[in-house]
Amino acid sequence: MRFDAVIIGGGYAGCTAAGILSDAGMKVCVVSEGLSLSVSGSKTPYAAQSALQKRGVTILRGDRAVGAKVEDGRVLGITTRNLGPGTMLEAPFYILATGKFFSRGLLSDKEHIWEPVFGADVEYGADRTSWFDEDFSAPQPFMGFGVKTDSSARVYVGGKALENLFATGDIVAKGCKEANVTKLIEDYAGRE
Amino acid sequence: MLEGNNNLEQCLKCNLCTLVCPMMEVNPDYPGPKKAGPDGERYRLKDPAFFDYALKYCLNCKRCEVACPSDVHIGDMIQTARILYGSQAKRKGLRGLRDWTLASTDLVGSLASPFAPIVNGTLKLKPVKSVMDSVLAVDKHRTFPKYSAKKFVNWFRRQDQSSFSKFVSYFHGCYVNYNYPALGQAFVKVMNSAGYGVHLLEKEKCCGVALMSNGFADKARRQGEVNLASIRKAVAAGEVVLTTSSTCTFTMRDEYPDVLGLTNGDVRDSLMLSTKWLYEKISAGELKLKFRKNFSKKVIYHTACHMQKMGWQVYSIALLNLIPGVELTVLDQNCCGIAGTFGFKKENYPFSQQIGSKLFEDIRRSATPDAVVSTDCETCKWQIEMSTGMKVLNPIEIIAEALDR
Repeated sequence: MRFDAVIIGGGYAGCTAAGILSDAGMKVCVVSEGLSLSVSGSKTPYAAQSALQKRGVTILRGDRAVGAKVEDGRVLGITTRNLGPGTMLEAPFYILATGKFFSRGLLSDKEHIWEPVFGADVEYGADRTSWFDEDFSAPQPFMGFGVKTDSSARVYVGGKALENLFATGDIVAKGCKEANVTKLIEDYAGRE
Repeated sequence: MLEGNNNLEQCLKCNLCTLVCPMMEVNPDYPGPKKAGPDGERYRLKDPAFFDYALKYCLNCKRCEVACPSDVHIGDMIQTARILYGSQAKRKGLRGLRDWTLASTDLVGSLASPFAPIVNGTLKLKPVKSVMDSVLAVDKHRTFPKYSAKKFVNWFRRQDQSSFSKFVSYFHGCYVNYNYPALGQAFVKVMNSAGYGVHLLEKEKCCGVALMSNGFADKARRQGEVNLASIRKAVAAGEVVLTTSSTCTFTMRDEYPDVLGLTNGDVRDSLMLSTKWLYEKISAGELKLKFRKNFSKKVIYHTACHMQKMGWQVYSIALLNLIPGVELTVLDQNCCGIAGTFGFKKENYPFSQQIGSKLFEDIRRSATPDAVVSTDCETCKWQIEMSTGMKVLNPIEIIAEALDR
């Protein structure tokens, strides 16, 4: 299934990006797993998704990106749990906006933290005791963990930034760049 | 609970499931998916006496599972609890007879079909409806799906499919066979024009969804075994098994293993809705459909709950968009409220209509006199036709109508 952009993650970051891209006339697909809780209320992302859908955005609600086809430093497509191996979601560029731990953008065990869709490079302390502060109300270091991006917000996988995979929202590591969606429109509009 | 399927510990108590539960909105007696599912399961595991009979209100729409960020099998837990602990709640007397009649789609279908004009006429009569309402507790406001005088399989037997070299198998389901052969005929037309012959399964039984929700899980399991055996034969012969009903498909792919404990992993990927198969074949360039140039139709697409759970509405929508002359509106996903046999029961009818009201309102807002509603679920079709007066077609019917020739 071909789109002008595929966004993985349907929370605030993903929906915002989808809104900007679809306003620019792009055909957008959002893969949205279960939604996250938020201060503004859990109904807000639903309302956003519903508004996007009315504008022609394809929302795969309750679905999960499970695999990515990457060749020569480029993402060629992603597959999802529900659509199965027979359908590849393809686009000139992809935005990773899956958030952090609660929304399963990052998974962890006692020693490791990883990003499940692309196996992107995650920045986190090697020593587990540095992940958290015992003072409950102090800023917790693990909240700054996330995927590493370059100066154009392209995501690093295996030490090398993938050419057409960008990250935005909570999943981006503290201090790393988030995707400038308007710039992406300039770069990609009319390419295909 | 099925071993390995009980992941109640993954529940973070976020209540997103509660937010999307359609029953929760209209019925204060229903504890909601979180309490009925993972919370209640914790107690039920200790002592089945904790089983709450209000679980009967669960529509099994699975919207809770779609919303859950932690993949908790909320709906499966509720279904399983009803099967394991709710059997003593199986109704006795006339309501028990009603549940059994509503659940036995195969048997009732074969009995009613030969007398279709009489049965259809009788079921429309006000006095008959009143008696059914007061004696059997089948709500008098409900319109029954009409029975067809000619079964789909009888029509199909006279269709020559021998000229084809490639074949697909078709699981038609009870509704196509006893009530609405037109959909099966549309399916055959589409497949034939795509260059594929159609085979029926060696033996086909009702998928069992109505049996499961009415407390007849053992019978559902036996029927599931028959279906899976036939599906295996078709798959072994190199054929994909296609369907035109989202709920039958969902039941056989997901409820069989998750609720009934049947193993289907070997054939699950070969069993799918025809719109998914068609779309994937078309986009791989392996198949072409030729559409009429002068076709024009305004279509309002409703995503059935089980369709949303499978996530496959994208295929039906994409196929409808391929037809030149189709002007498509996609509605927000809302439950129509009928939930199979649930909405036929007198005690549920008001909930059913209240739940559906959001969808009906949406449809009325998008409707023009020449528009049709399209959905992949037959019970949504009954509910929408009865409640809005709009004509409802399966996407396959619209495709068949738009085909050149």
